[in-house]
Amino acid sequence: MGLAIGRPLPHGGKLVDRVVTNPAKGIKMAKHTDAVFDIKPTLNNGIPLRNVYREIMSICYGFFSPVEGSMTKAEVDRVVKEKRLLSNWVFPYPLVFDISEEDLDKLGVKEGDSLLLRLKGKPFAILDIDEIWKIDDTEKLAHDIFGRPEANPEVVREPFDKKMPGWLIYKSLNPMVIAGKYTIINEPKMRPPFDRFWYPPKKSREEYERRGWRTVINHQTRNVPHVGHEFLMKNAAYTGDTEPCHGIQVNAIIGVKRPGDYPDEAIIEGHEAVNLGGYINPKRHIVTFTLWDMRYGNPLESMLHGIIRQNMGCTHHMFGRDHAAVGKYYDMYATQILWGKGIPSFGFPAPITDVPYGLQIRPQNMAEFWYCPVCGEIAYSESCAHSKEKQKFSGSFIRGMVAEGVFPPGVIFRPEVYKVILKWWKEFGYPFCNPKYVKDVEERLEIDLPDMEI
Amino acid sequence: MAKTIVILLDDKRLKALKGSGLEEKVASLFGGAIKALNLEVSEEKAKEILHAFDTARIDTRDCITDVPIAFNRITFEEIAKAKSLGPEVIEGVLKRLGEIKEFAAKEKEYLPVPEH
Repeated sequence: MGLAIGRPLPHGGKLVDRVVTNPAKGIKMAKHTDAVFDIKPTLNNGIPLRNVYREIMSICYGFFSPVEGSMTKAEVDRVVKEKRLLSNWVFPYPLVFDISEEDLDKLGVKEGDSLLLRLKGKPFAILDIDEIWKIDDTEKLAHDIFGRPEANPEVVREPFDKKMPGWLIYKSLNPMVIAGKYTIINEPKMRPPFDRFWYPPKKSREEYERRGWRTVINHQTRNVPHVGHEFLMKNAAYTGDTEPCHGIQVNAIIGVKRPGDYPDEAIIEGHEAVNLGGYINPKRHIVTFTLWDMRYGNPLESMLHGIIRQNMGCTHHMFGRDHAAVGKYYDMYATQILWGKGIPSFGFPAPITDVPYGLQIRPQNMAEFWYCPVCGEIAYSESCAHSKEKQKFSGSFIRGMVAEGVFPPGVIFRPEVYKVILKWWKEFGYPFCNPKYVKDVEERLEIDLPDMEI
Repeated sequence: MAKTIVILLDDKRLKALKGSGLEEKVASLFGGAIKALNLEVSEEKAKEILHAFDTARIDTRDCITDVPIAFNRITFEEIAKAKSLGPEVIEGVLKRLGEIKEFAAKEKEYLPVPEH
């Protein structure tokens, strides 16, 4: 048996591609729709939590393959209960086009109809309606998705509540769901600076091929990279097969963030600065992103991350402690439990790579990097024995340093990365996401749409 | 268990500490690249701080973080005034909560870009 690892197939076997790139065809399809609806963000007390447009983008461009649209009731029930689609492929979250009863009445659509979805006042996508159904209790749905301490004792430590952004997103959904396949009929243009980092799965696979990368390890991020992140990327990439991974991919999650997170623009350009500064050779490093309003669902989020990056063509994925987590709802090792031995109460008695219709991407479960004054270097926690003397890369400590205007030393932020923070701080008048930034983002979004006369 | 508040020290703050007797308590972090004072607070006072600021939390180092910048600034002022890292410091800080919250409200809208 050969030891070389090949590029994995997309999750479900085939990449979803539901983007019409021919405007004339898009116009023709739009003309045959039965009603028009302007996409609205999901709000909580007037603050945006989620915009379904990001899900439509990620579905139609194949990031969430094999999902093709807004889910039917039977599909949502199965995803919630067994974390599987009706086709059996594993999938962590319901994805739905939710709408208020009042808006649904105004639309007057029924099963079999086609709905034109507008974004920023312009035609964007079509939803071919298979089913219209009602969520009886959004709070119960939110609990059922993320789990409960009594029902999921392997990983859930505290009951979820409104402080958990993902739970709040599902709790805040409108009660009616229009289920069916999406098709983007007006090809969007990414706004700068996102345009140069846009690698949907088909394009990312082509890019790896062009670069001669057989093995690629993915780094998940929602942060401007400090030097600890850089060391994690460099060291995790030593895995591979007969040689270290050829490529290191950063895939940033771009969407609604929590107050205190860095702006998306700073996150993505901050990672680029790591390779522009030569700290990781740009020949071996690529920065990309996925549109998604993070649910912060730790093991569930890691499952989605595995799906996205396998679809992009990655062979490996690094996972740390508290992966995509907020608060102490989940065990800090919940993601590593899912990928290391499975979570039976979520329907996985074995690692998610070892169950039928599971994932093929390989996990690289990592501990952490800290600064060790005894070793005089950034050290891996499982190698360095000076745990008493260690100095952790605490994200909140570093954010505090930035906010207080203290120039961060090179051992914390590369100067090129810090310059990116300052660049976007000047632009937004604030170094982090605040309510104004979040509201402004939801108005300008990450894309523009060409004019389309119908 | 006691929690820690880490107060970063720039040149100006280090100068203000001269002769206070606190110089020897200055901790050196990340190979000497960062100077800081570690202020210990009781669990009870830590709870009061967490209750006062919705963003505040305890991080993996058992430090109180994500407090308003004004909180750290006023904590340093109280340290410099008391020339101590004793419990009177945090009591002084908590007496000034109203003032801190007023500053914090403004901080949520705008923070000046530092001139390095």
